Amino acid sequence: MRAGVLVLLCAPSALAQADAYSPPAASQPSGLQINGYADVGFAAAQGNGTSFAPGDTRIPADYGVDPFATAVNSRGDVASTDSGGRFTNGFLPRSMNIGGQASIFLSTFDVDLKYVPSTVPLLLFGRVQFLPRYGGSGNDTRVIVEQAFAKIAPFSSLELAFSIGKFDSVFGIEYLENEANLRTNITPSLIARYTTGQSLGLKAFYRIQIPGIWSAVSLNAAVTNGGTLVETLSPPDISLVGRPIGSARLGYELNLPSVEVKAGVSGEYGPRNDQHDPTVRQWLLGADLRVVFKGLSLSAEAVKVHQDEGAADKSNGLGPQTLVSEFVARGAYATLSYTLPVSDGALRKFIPYLRYERRRAQFEGFPAYTVDRWTIGFRVDLWEELIVKAEGLLNGEVSGLPKVDNNVFTSSFVYQF
Amino acid sequence: MPWLMVAVLLAAAPEKKPARDRTMLQLIERQNQIASLLTAGRLAWDNGDFATAAARWEALLKIEGLPADVERAVRPFAQEARTRAGTPEFPGSKQDIPPPEVAEPPKPVPVNVSGTVSGGGSAGPGGAVITLRRTDGWTPKPQPLQKPLLEKEKRFVPHVLAVPQGSSIDFKNEDDIFHNVFSLSPAAKFDTGLHKGGAQTTVKFDKAGVVELLCNIHASMLGYLVVVDTPWYAVADGSGAFQIRNVPPGEYEASVWHESSNATVKRKVTVADGAQLAFTVPADKRTNPFPPDKYGKPRQPQLGY
Repeated sequence: MRAGVLVLLCAPSALAQADAYSPPAASQPSGLQINGYADVGFAAAQGNGTSFAPGDTRIPADYGVDPFATAVNSRGDVASTDSGGRFTNGFLPRSMNIGGQASIFLSTFDVDLKYVPSTVPLLLFGRVQFLPRYGGSGNDTRVIVEQAFAKIAPFSSLELAFSIGKFDSVFGIEYLENEANLRTNITPSLIARYTTGQSLGLKAFYRIQIPGIWSAVSLNAAVTNGGTLVETLSPPDISLVGRPIGSARLGYELNLPSVEVKAGVSGEYGPRNDQHDPTVRQWLLGADLRVVFKGLSLSAEAVKVHQDEGAADKSNGLGPQTLVSEFVARGAYATLSYTLPVSDGALRKFIPYLRYERRRAQFEGFPAYTVDRWTIGFRVDLWEELIVKAEGLLNGEVSGLPKVDNNVFTSSFVYQF
Repeated sequence: MPWLMVAVLLAAAPEKKPARDRTMLQLIERQNQIASLLTAGRLAWDNGDFATAAARWEALLKIEGLPADVERAVRPFAQEARTRAGTPEFPGSKQDIPPPEVAEPPKPVPVNVSGTVSGGGSAGPGGAVITLRRTDGWTPKPQPLQKPLLEKEKRFVPHVLAVPQGSSIDFKNEDDIFHNVFSLSPAAKFDTGLHKGGAQTTVKFDKAGVVELLCNIHASMLGYLVVVDTPWYAVADGSGAFQIRNVPPGEYEASVWHESSNATVKRKVTVADGAQLAFTVPADKRTNPFPPDKYGKPRQPQLGY
């Protein structure tokens, strides 16, 4: 009798309606995805918006200062590169041409296209950017295909993927948040010019998990036409020497429930691709570290760069230049940020941050110089779509170059779609 | 009437004492009473009327000569019903119990609520989670469940799962590769850690709300666990159709959550026999192209790491 009673009491209730849903495999993921962002900024730089000191008559002018110091946006574009008529040799960033005037500008209008066929383990990705700039000759708006690649992961049981096309750098970590909507802060570091450039070629990524110690080891390697220097410092896409440049990063990550530690070493070696002689070499070495603990985040990276001297006929993203000077540099940055826990309302994140960085560089025939920079600011995420950032850049001339007023206040309003 | 048959069979069972009509009639009457109270309690339980269920089963427990096995089976359910009904004291003594009333007043018959969800943009209406909460009465707490949720071919299967508050989910990796399921949702922040193929990790969800499921290794993996605090819920199929069974007629607030919508759609509805509901969910939620890792840092899925 007890069995009968239990059957009556415990029999499944008639509430047997569906409680789960999975879309048919063939229908996902859905075809083409389009995302992107618009980044509008407001900035004001001291002086004339450059780092060229009045009265400094050294030639080339860009060998004796850091022209990247007055960055105003996530691309590293500066307030001005106006050298006052003095000769420069193409060691320059792109310019917003706002000089020392406080100005609103449109930094980037970005469109990302992603296509994932449902039948093959393939991903097609393109990132197109519209860059409105107002140069001396009027409207200098550019459209660049920053990335365009196909990635295939042939083995479902392995974290192994191959990419072909134009893709992000594999050197260091700063390229991971090189876009305005991804960066915690606004401006790139003083060493980003060496490590975050996109290039065209082949890339392989492999990672193996070590669950017993909550860890993973990864290798990211690329063979490309150019290196990882930003596009103003190396010609975009094409190979001038006919030989590829190799770059790689070996990484270790520890993924504990509340603590993340990621460390890596990077290297790059190959011909210097801003000239035509394949025997003229360049190499980079780097190390990086990221630690996240309860909202507190530390990112740090160091790099050492060497470029051989070469013959004339230098050419880079800014066009034909003259001197292929030997160049050595080393630098590092550390960024500390804290993500404040906020409610579910419009305010999604509030992240104050502080960055310190230092860079030492020397061009052949010039004295070495050292600069440093403090960056302090905050990022606010509103809803899922809007990001507001503001920061101050305090540029310092430590040694080897004249003091100049080149501090910057800049801000960024990013709308994601 | 299976209970009547049971009672008759029990009454007709061979006994050591000589059978006498009066004794047999008393036995039949008692067994009928047991069956009636047992059934009335169960019906009330199913309807979420735990006070009535408790009253019926408590009355049952007071019947003299109740078989010990019946008492053992019924007592925990009666206690549970009393607890859910919100009256902590559970009468244990048979002396202070009034005689049970066998006659049941006619109760509203629970109905099945059907309907469709439309909208949802390119994802379609499938996976919409429809819940009903009474506005003219009390909404009982649902029974917690234990459900599996698989990581299979770098997807969460099912993609959307609705479970009652307090349920436990067995996250099982059916791939050959490692996964690390986590969520940063306010309804449940958890981290299963790395688990290899075949491994299973169980997580209990005590707070109602939507839990976005992600994998710390595979940025493209996305799933949803919807933890509900009502027994009346359903998940729409690919065409948007849904059915919620055994809903007592009355006034309700219906809520419809969908992964493509920024806000839950809410509406007052009347549940009656043959009720058909229709909802439209907007596709106004932006798909996050950079899902966070378990520390909240955005990731770029196109990089694959």
